[in-house]
Amino acid sequence: MARLRRPSTKYSLGGLLSVGILLGVLFWGGFNTVLEATNTETFCISCHEMEENVYQEYKETIHYNNRTGVRATCPDCHVPKEWTHKMIRKVQASREVWGKLTGSISTPEKFEAKRLTLARSEWARMKAADSRECRNCHGFESMDPEKQKQRARKQHEMAIEDKMTCIDCHKGIAHHKPEGMTDEDEE
Amino acid sequence: MKKTMIAAAVGTVLALGTGSALAAAPDWGKVEAKDITLFYPGVSPLEWIQKGSAHGGARALKKGETCADCHHEETSDMGKKIASGQKIEPSPIAGKAAFIPVKVQAAHDADNLYLRFSWKQPAASGAAKMDDKNPVKIAFMLESGGKVELADQAGCWATCHTDSRTMPDAADTKTKYVKGASLAEGKFYDLYQWRSGEKKGFDGHVADTRVMEGGSALVSAEGKQDGDTWTVVFTRKLAAGGQGDVALEAGKTYNFGFAIHDDSAAGRFHHVSLGYKLGIDAKADITAAKQ
Repeated sequence: MARLRRPSTKYSLGGLLSVGILLGVLFWGGFNTVLEATNTETFCISCHEMEENVYQEYKETIHYNNRTGVRATCPDCHVPKEWTHKMIRKVQASREVWGKLTGSISTPEKFEAKRLTLARSEWARMKAADSRECRNCHGFESMDPEKQKQRARKQHEMAIEDKMTCIDCHKGIAHHKPEGMTDEDEE
Repeated sequence: MKKTMIAAAVGTVLALGTGSALAAAPDWGKVEAKDITLFYPGVSPLEWIQKGSAHGGARALKKGETCADCHHEETSDMGKKIASGQKIEPSPIAGKAAFIPVKVQAAHDADNLYLRFSWKQPAASGAAKMDDKNPVKIAFMLESGGKVELADQAGCWATCHTDSRTMPDAADTKTKYVKGASLAEGKFYDLYQWRSGEKKGFDGHVADTRVMEGGSALVSAEGKQDGDTWTVVFTRKLAAGGQGDVALEAGKTYNFGFAIHDDSAAGRFHHVSLGYKLGIDAKADITAAKQ
């Protein structure tokens, strides 16, 4: 232990610093590369649980295919962009590894049985963050209600008035709505 | 007859010379028409429209918005989704019309309200006839003062329930009804219907149950099909006649909705309007001005 605390007589300060910086870059770069690799749609659907269920449903929606050619992929909605929030989310998501290992949603039946619980958990996360991931692309300030259809116009006017957040209404926008939702889920 | 056809072609339909009982009817060519598109409603009773997990507009309804505030411009699209079975229709009928655009005209004189509905006959589905006596029936309902819960917002939906006949698993004996019905307190809908096969008008109401008689405000209900266009004119006294008749007064508005049973339909398999306001010399969705 004492050697760790004693200044080096063998290596120059410059050499030690250079090695330290190099190791830091390598470590940070590696960490970030792995982190970003887990932040892609390819990674998400490398598990059959995602590929066979939610991914197929999402492919039928406007966030996958639309007039303008803009696509929101899994992490665009489910992983925060900003670093701190992203790290918190990633740590939370490590629980999913346990789910994968124990096969908690490994069949379509098991998935359906847990769909409402899983959806509620994601809805709660989105609501707590004021639909932050939706707002990376959408915002009331850039929305022109005049260009919307009557129903959307009315609903958005009410949402602004009542300070509501996107996910309050837009549940099931990219995946099937779960069976067994209650009226509380819609409030 | 030829003269009438020419007149119709230039947009001036005159009742003169046809020998009908509508001698007192207004000159419909001069009465503004309101376009209302009826749609196929599937299984969307009062209970459904208030259920947030099923109907995204339940919240708006709670806030006091009307159905028409959100849906007036999109009823044809709603009809398409529902008639095809994509939404809230567990037993879609192949070829069933999804929507029916209708022109509604209203006028009144010292004694009577005149309501004229005209629409193009949609293509027949070819499905089994539910009412083999009447290929077409048209009905309208009036409610006064918003005394029936949600009448001001939801029109006829206030009478349509999950346990009304022809709804899935509903008893055949249960008809339309309103919650907290009371003829004495004015908690009812005044109901009128014309049937094409029986060639007859009915003056009933919907209170704790739906009855097709009891009223005496209806003067006449006459309908005809010219080519593929139906025209039905109702004449009813402004004053309330018998049981379940709403008294109509100048300067006031009333909750109004109507429906067509097309293609020999019965029960819920009709095309319906959202809830609108009918004004007697008063600004409303449809205004009956004095002639």
